[in-house]
Amino acid sequence: MKCYICAEEGKSTDAVAICIVCGMGLCMDHAIRQETEIWSGGYPFPAEKLKETLPRILCKYCNQALKKGSPKGG
Amino acid sequence: MVSLMKRSVAELIGTFILVFFGTGAAIITLMISSGQTPPNSFNIGIGALGGLGDWLAIGLAFGLAITACIYAFGRISGCHINPAVTIALWAVKKFPSHDVAPYLVAQIVGASLASFTLAGIIGMGAVTTGGLGATAPFEGIGYLQAILAEAIGTFLLMLAIMGVAVDREAPPGFAGLIIGLTVAGVITTLGNITGSSLNPARTFGPYLGDLVLGGSNLWIYFPIYLIGPIVGAVLAAFVYNYLSNEAG
Repeated sequence: MKCYICAEEGKSTDAVAICIVCGMGLCMDHAIRQETEIWSGGYPFPAEKLKETLPRILCKYCNQALKKGSPKGG
Repeated sequence: MVSLMKRSVAELIGTFILVFFGTGAAIITLMISSGQTPPNSFNIGIGALGGLGDWLAIGLAFGLAITACIYAFGRISGCHINPAVTIALWAVKKFPSHDVAPYLVAQIVGASLASFTLAGIIGMGAVTTGGLGATAPFEGIGYLQAILAEAIGTFLLMLAIMGVAVDREAPPGFAGLIIGLTVAGVITTLGNITGSSLNPARTFGPYLGDLVLGGSNLWIYFPIYLIGPIVGAVLAAFVYNYLSNEAG
């Protein structure tokens, strides 16, 4: 699979990841890696943020859309 | 996890809300019905307006306040807002020993503040007519019978908490609603037997308020609302763990 964003720019680059939202193939330069917090607990126990995070890969389009849709504005 | 101080404040606010809205509903019901003559000592006024519906209304005031608190504070402190629940979780090693005392103090302070606040808002009628929503066994209900009733009621409450919240297999998101409705249901049945406290802090606040503000001194009944709920909750936690354990 090739990187979609590179293809838009007229380049041909091998994809190393896939956007978790839209499935777009992404090269290393265009893959955005986000670390998602993991929480354990919750009623009737206090919630606790774990040291480990859950990585997820996004393309720039989905990353922007999610930031706009987030209650905190990203 | 947020600090113990913040969690204790969440417990204090949660118990305040529980007692303010729950016992507040009982006080208002008694005050609304005070113009009617109770036909017998088993009828103190609650029930005069709509039979068992009065108790359901009071139960829903408690239950919906609990539901709101669980969704608001569940992730912060665990939202026990009940010493019996805290002690039961500690008894089955689900809650750390060093956090128990601060939680209990916060719950008792929150409940007491709620009772004094109700008296401050409504006036002395809340004490003289409403008794600040204090619980006491009704006529014909003995001390041990009252303890047993409180234990059974809190047994069901704790069983629901274990099943819909503590159990890892429980469907997420329902705990607050189900536990609130469970409390409402239990109060509907036990209301005219013991007042249906299910919570030592919920009885402590009105008792203290009544004592300080010149209402009835009901402290002789306090062991009912201490022993019954704690025994019922601890028993439910152990029974649930035993029944849900696949080994053996």
